[in-house]
Amino acid sequence: MSQILIQGLLLSGLYALIAIGFTLIFSVGRVLNLAYGAYLMLGGYAYFWVVQTMHMPKLLGILVAIGVGVLAGLLKHRLIVKPLKSDPVAVEIATLILAVVIQAGVVLVFNDSAKIMHPIVNGVWRVGGATVTYNILTATIASWVILIGLYYFVRKTHVGRAISAVSMDVKGAAISGINPDRINMITWGLSGALGAIAGVFFASYTQLSPSMWVAPLIIAVAVVIVGGIGSIIGTLIVAHIIGFMEIISTTLVAAELRGVFTMLLIIVVLVMMPKGLFGRGEL
Amino acid sequence: MTVILELEHVVKRFGGLVATNDMSFEVAKGESVGLIGPNGAGKTTIFSLIMGEHKADSGSIRLHGEELTKLATHKRIRRGVARTYQVPRPFADMDVLANIEVGLMPDSIMAMIFTAPADEEARAIARSVGLNDADLHRDPAELSMGDLRKLELARTLATKPEVMLLDEVFAGLTAGEIEQISGLLNEKRQEGMTYVIVSHDLRSLEPLIDRAIAMTQGTFVCQGDYATVMSDEAVRMAYLGH
Amino acid sequence: MSTQITWKHLALWALFLGGMALLPMLVGKGTLRTIIFANYLAIFAMSWDVLSGRTGYISFGHPFLIGIGAYTTAILSYRFDVPVGISIPVAVIVTMAAGTLFFLPALRIKGTYFALVTLAFMELMYQLVQVIRPDLTGGTRGISGVQTLTRGAVNGYYLSLALMGVIAISLWAMMKTRLGTALSAIGMNEEAVEGSGLNTTKLKLFAFMVGAGVAGIGGAFYVHYLGSIAPRALFDINFLFTIIVAALIGGASTIIGPMAGAFFLTFLLEYLRPFLPGAERYFIYGSIALILYMYEPKGLYEILRKARERLTGANA
Repeated sequence: MSQILIQGLLLSGLYALIAIGFTLIFSVGRVLNLAYGAYLMLGGYAYFWVVQTMHMPKLLGILVAIGVGVLAGLLKHRLIVKPLKSDPVAVEIATLILAVVIQAGVVLVFNDSAKIMHPIVNGVWRVGGATVTYNILTATIASWVILIGLYYFVRKTHVGRAISAVSMDVKGAAISGINPDRINMITWGLSGALGAIAGVFFASYTQLSPSMWVAPLIIAVAVVIVGGIGSIIGTLIVAHIIGFMEIISTTLVAAELRGVFTMLLIIVVLVMMPKGLFGRGEL
Repeated sequence: MTVILELEHVVKRFGGLVATNDMSFEVAKGESVGLIGPNGAGKTTIFSLIMGEHKADSGSIRLHGEELTKLATHKRIRRGVARTYQVPRPFADMDVLANIEVGLMPDSIMAMIFTAPADEEARAIARSVGLNDADLHRDPAELSMGDLRKLELARTLATKPEVMLLDEVFAGLTAGEIEQISGLLNEKRQEGMTYVIVSHDLRSLEPLIDRAIAMTQGTFVCQGDYATVMSDEAVRMAYLGH
Repeated sequence: MSTQITWKHLALWALFLGGMALLPMLVGKGTLRTIIFANYLAIFAMSWDVLSGRTGYISFGHPFLIGIGAYTTAILSYRFDVPVGISIPVAVIVTMAAGTLFFLPALRIKGTYFALVTLAFMELMYQLVQVIRPDLTGGTRGISGVQTLTRGAVNGYYLSLALMGVIAISLWAMMKTRLGTALSAIGMNEEAVEGSGLNTTKLKLFAFMVGAGVAGIGGAFYVHYLGSIAPRALFDINFLFTIIVAALIGGASTIIGPMAGAFFLTFLLEYLRPFLPGAERYFIYGSIALILYMYEPKGLYEILRKARERLTGANA
């Protein structure tokens, strides 16, 4: 029981971190960025290259990963989302193609065998019969810190409030002197950074491979669809629903079925409650 | 006077907002009724409810005495009611003729496969609304606002309605175009068409209607001939705030 | 839109298929196998186009339908010794039933959400196939040794060509009718189609059934050509990507577009092979597809049509 609780909390924290950047774009830009998973992959590979190939400090690795993520987000906004005038279906198709291109690009640079990433933080912690690596614990704590930071950023800072205003009502925000285009750009950059950090932790939790972008994308999609609101608190709640559902089904039902329930949840919620559990609204 | 369209105690809520609050009115065959009220009065919602694009929460909507509220939109069209939209949205990648032809299609997959397009009929309808033959093979994007309204009317007429609900037919038109469309509507009226018309352009609306129904905030205010309604205290209140 | 079918059209089809029929005398076995793949890809792309290109309900789960067709006939013939003459029609019917399942979400949602549900269907299928009754599906490893219908590349080629030809001409003729016009109209403005007195639910269901039927035929024959089936090769985003891009790159909402796209793609991948032996080919190929899509979302067909318009100065 405590095993489920601990594993569930840890996994859910990671999932929240994975989903938050995706949620951000969805609530501000109203588009689903299917190349989001590729940010995670780029972040993971960038960290790997800096730390394990170039043998440089881990902190630098994380910074480079963030830089790559920001760059990817900005480029995507500039070259794909803007020219397509944020048409949601066109963006969805274009970002799907882009994801495959990035996947192929990663194969080109790093070849297609999976790579094991060393833990960012070494060591294990035994608690109540459960073994927890410091690595995943760090990921979860980082996830919480980032989410709380983001929450205050959106509430308290000028830029954050502008982001929130655009997510509520683009026209209204534009009338009150906010440049939605600039806010969109900032959001895409931010989303890229969040994705890249999530990617570093996700890769250290599983492994690096050119097809690693699919699973986190599905998780992010599930969180947005099930939560519906695209809010930070909503993301956190739904990440825990999905995280615990997976841990419970893995330990109590069958390990192979862990993803099945997530898929079923997406389908059922979309069909029964197209607006998600909490309705759709602002950030 | 035979009643063709009746609304009885129709209610529609969107969340907390009551868009249509216990609306009841009747329209007689061959009559032309103006539905007036300030912005957000719920005029367009009434059209959506009659067409079934939104489902009424309660109340009854009848055409020829037949209850419509349970029917899907396409079935209501077949019963003889059709509407136009404030913003015309034609089929963008089809030429004008094909746009009109969609309204003439039979509602059966087999018939759609095995019957030829009714181009001649579509052409006749296009002419009857004053579209030039030269425009028939243009894409809608190349048309003027006036011609787009005509196309919208033609597409609606193709479904052979007895009652037409016209939403802001004059919006975005030049004086000349307004005159053209008015003439056209009058012509069809002589042939026995029944209208419910929503328009902000009261001056153009007035000569087209027998009667006006005023509403505000989803609620019925008063009805009668145009002059009576416009001099009504409550209507002046709703429109002008005094 | 719905121009009449003329002798010129039929002559062009005859010329095209006749030319294709001569290919085995002109090219080697290796190239022929490539073209066989292109033929099946063309079938899948046409199937996607009936469902998504026309009505605008973008399906990201097409491999789900193809997989159902392929697995049904593979399991029936390999595990239960059902003759192929029965297992393939059954597979097509089962796929059409699955198409109806696909259709249910389309009653409530559209656009991006519909695409996501279909993607979830595909991922669900991928995971279920591996864990539910692996004794039937072969689990992760799939099934090999499925009965093949033809021997040798030449026969396989003719079978795939015949299938593609029959499907292409049938769909083309169907889309030339008022039905095709109505389906395309749904993609442009669904409310207005309903507002023209047409039952859009029925029309969409029909498009889904036809799309699923074609996917089922393609999937079933493809597995009997390959002789094996595995979940990762089928229920895969790369496979989905290949199908969608083939349809889009050529030109959605046409018949020739998805076919041309399928051939373009297959040959591009094939010619890149000597220079880039691995999966990196997808990098070039995907980049070309992305640039083309950004430049003209309606694909090569539209680019050529516009070029012709500009050259002749006529407003066709």
